[in-house]
Amino acid sequence: MLVNVPGPWSPLLGRLALSEIPYTNPILAPLFIVIVLAGIVLIAGVTYYGKWGYLWKEWFTTVDHKKLGIMYIILGLIMLFRGFIDGLMMRTQQALGDGPGDNGMKVMGAIHGYLAPFHFGQIYSAHGLIMILLAATPLLVGLMNIIVPLQIGARDMAYPYLNALGLWITTAAVFLIMISLFVGDFSHNGWFGYAPIFELAYSPGVGVDYWIWTLELVALGTTLGSINFLATVVKMRAPGMTWGRLPVFTWTAVSANIIALTSFPCLQVALALVGADRYLGTHFFTAGFGGNLMLYTNLFWLWGHPEVYFVILPAFGMLSEVIPAFSEKPIFGYITMVLASFAIAGVSWIVWLHHFFTMGMGPYVSTEFSIATMLVGIPTGVKVFNWAFTLYRGRLTFSAAMLWSIGALFLLLIGGLTGMMLAIPAINYMVHNSVFVVAHFHMMLLCIVYAVFSAIIFWFPKIYGFKLNEAWGKIMFWLFSAGTFLVFFPMFMLGFMGETRRLDWPFNPQWGPWFDVQEIGIFVYILSVLAFLWMLYVSIRDRHANRVHTADAWGTSRSLEWLTDTPVPFYNFAMVPHINALDEVAWRREHGFMDKKPDHFKAIHMPNNTPIALYIGALTFLVGFGLTWRVWWLTLASLILAVILMIYRSNKGDPGYIIPAEKMEEMDRESKARMLSDDSHQVPHGGGFSGGTVTAYTALDRDASGSLTPPNDSRHL
Amino acid sequence: MSHGHSDPIHHPEVQMATNRNYITGFVVSSLLMLAATILVDGHILPSFGLLLAIIGCAGIAIIAQVYFLLHIDISEHNIWNTVALVMFIPLFIITIGLTWWMFSQLYMRTMPMIPGMPGMH
Ligand code: HEM
Ligand SMILES: [Cu+2]
Repeated sequence: MLVNVPGPWSPLLGRLALSEIPYTNPILAPLFIVIVLAGIVLIAGVTYYGKWGYLWKEWFTTVDHKKLGIMYIILGLIMLFRGFIDGLMMRTQQALGDGPGDNGMKVMGAIHGYLAPFHFGQIYSAHGLIMILLAATPLLVGLMNIIVPLQIGARDMAYPYLNALGLWITTAAVFLIMISLFVGDFSHNGWFGYAPIFELAYSPGVGVDYWIWTLELVALGTTLGSINFLATVVKMRAPGMTWGRLPVFTWTAVSANIIALTSFPCLQVALALVGADRYLGTHFFTAGFGGNLMLYTNLFWLWGHPEVYFVILPAFGMLSEVIPAFSEKPIFGYITMVLASFAIAGVSWIVWLHHFFTMGMGPYVSTEFSIATMLVGIPTGVKVFNWAFTLYRGRLTFSAAMLWSIGALFLLLIGGLTGMMLAIPAINYMVHNSVFVVAHFHMMLLCIVYAVFSAIIFWFPKIYGFKLNEAWGKIMFWLFSAGTFLVFFPMFMLGFMGETRRLDWPFNPQWGPWFDVQEIGIFVYILSVLAFLWMLYVSIRDRHANRVHTADAWGTSRSLEWLTDTPVPFYNFAMVPHINALDEVAWRREHGFMDKKPDHFKAIHMPNNTPIALYIGALTFLVGFGLTWRVWWLTLASLILAVILMIYRSNKGDPGYIIPAEKMEEMDRESKARMLSDDSHQVPHGGGFSGGTVTAYTALDRDASGSLTPPNDSRHL
Repeated sequence: MSHGHSDPIHHPEVQMATNRNYITGFVVSSLLMLAATILVDGHILPSFGLLLAIIGCAGIAIIAQVYFLLHIDISEHNIWNTVALVMFIPLFIITIGLTWWMFSQLYMRTMPMIPGMPGMH
């Protein structure tokens, strides 16, 4: 049943052999040494300061949505950096290798530039996969993880343990793709995969297998996460938080996760079928034996297009939070904003063919998909106008977060308009597979990156209790924007000049000047990375000066997350607030209720930490690694162990623990004291009482009623 | 709201999950998959007949999984499951339907006829 692989194979090690480790590669070998040394320093440091227990207790086994979110974001930032280095390498290759003649570096075995085609192919494949699925997705999932429960007044996600599981499975995917640097090769057929190059006959190495299993793992992790988000928003809203009062960011999270939940399974199936072709010798995507190449492309983009909206919608949500806060106005057109999110999510399901207009299915199909694609412009346009009207006659503060948000709007405009051009089949036939397409989607994905930086700066003080340095945030913004302009404006030009994407050897000397401009752009990007690191350093150094003493860090924030203490305590809200209006915090501020405190406390029920999610994550990594190298015993053993752990944990459940009311009161007092005294409120009290009775806090049914023992047959899965 | 709402075990969603349902769902979908595999492996039907048989198996398997494993039905106390069902059906029709349409147009222009398939030239 199993396919025979070319080359040696042993039952114990599968296809692994010493020769698979590229210790002669002049880039990878030194990198490996640096990473090993850095790893040793890190481990030694943690051991020296005796921090293992802390890491284990507070981070590795945590089920707290905020900490999991922070880890997601750290993971995303690290992968953003790795992807950036890939980008730098590609830009340098094209700048060096441009034009005819013998311009290759012989030490590297390259005929043009410094990278051999085989190596270049791995870099662009890894770059795309990493940036979309292991950088953008974790950054967004991380931010949603932190903010969504706070915005709806929940104590945690609906399934805290599932949340941890999602993180650790995503981490397993990250490890799998990172280890492909040093053990074997990565795939060279692009982030989305081309049939039939990925079939075993044409890609006999392990690269494609790394690609399959990395994608499968992120897909699994993200699907689990999306289930959790939906359940959380449906079931865990605070009293009074009706659907009509849900903040826009939460709404976009809902729409995005509906897309994720319904589309990621397509990807998993598509890749499982590729796996069947490669491991079992089936013929789903071969040209012979009844297979069909385009079936793969179809299945992939059936997920691929909804995925791009899965990543842009939360970014839209972030803009919808930042822009009103710094315009001191409610969002313009709340209802249309929500409807537009769902319209975008809905339409994202009927446009996927625009990624392969050139397949040859004729004019009728093309017309339908072209029109459907252009329809997306309507709700997107509604959103852009809503943001513009929010800004209009607002009291604008151009803080660092606001600058990033406004930058995102510009990128959205360029990306959206070029997308519209691509949606016209006649134009698409001309520029499909050119770098014009690459420039289009980089505008879109950078729009997300801008929104993410904006959101990080905006919400950072809520989580850590101090603000990031504004000046350096702005410097980074301008450097990053200059880099974006210098790299991607030439890319549009090159697209018009006919440069196809993924060229390891750009043969046309006339492209040369544009490559040089792009290379300069990359160096400006490097400066912005340094500015980012410096911003972190300066902010942490000056954290006492930048302390935030109020719940509402910016003084003009609107939604519920700004009501609880800064930094947010692990239980989120000592007493779950009662929601009276859309933009609850703005409402309370205007009516002078910001300092209204709960008059009594109730016992609360919290989930326990668990290391099982971490173990299962590690096991899924082993499953992926075993499958890649065809080490069957390892695969089977880890899989079985993972399933046993899962069943064990599900049966054991987690009764959680109860914090009694007196303890809550004490913790709340301490937490408030840490924010300094209440009279240091810089928040205007304004407004006054508007009449009628107001409920500021109500007890939840969920909150355990007084008893100190958790219900012992309760199961938190 | 006094009836043990703090205990998740008593939620109707949890109450619906019985071992028997899970096992039935698992067995039924495994059997259908096995049947499809045997049909294809042995070339028991002509090409187009095979296509229909696989589609039939897949359709029943979907219904079995949705019902037995996901407990999605149209009962009243489970309004969210009904919502999920209502959203799932159009999605299903769109994705399968549009794929069908696009490939039939593609095949019409590029492929030889599948033996036994009506209405294609
Ligand atoms: C106004 C909305 C949009 C329109 C009309 C649009 C249109 C298109 C079209 C027609 C293509 C195919 C180009 C080709 O390969 O010939 C394309 C590619 C792409 N778009 Fe968009 N797009 C839009 C928004 C977005 C968004 C929001 C994202 C992501 C955040 C995005 C990411 C991508 C990606 C990643 C690709 C190319 C993938 C690849 O070939 O590697 N697009 N877009
Ligand atoms: Cu698309």
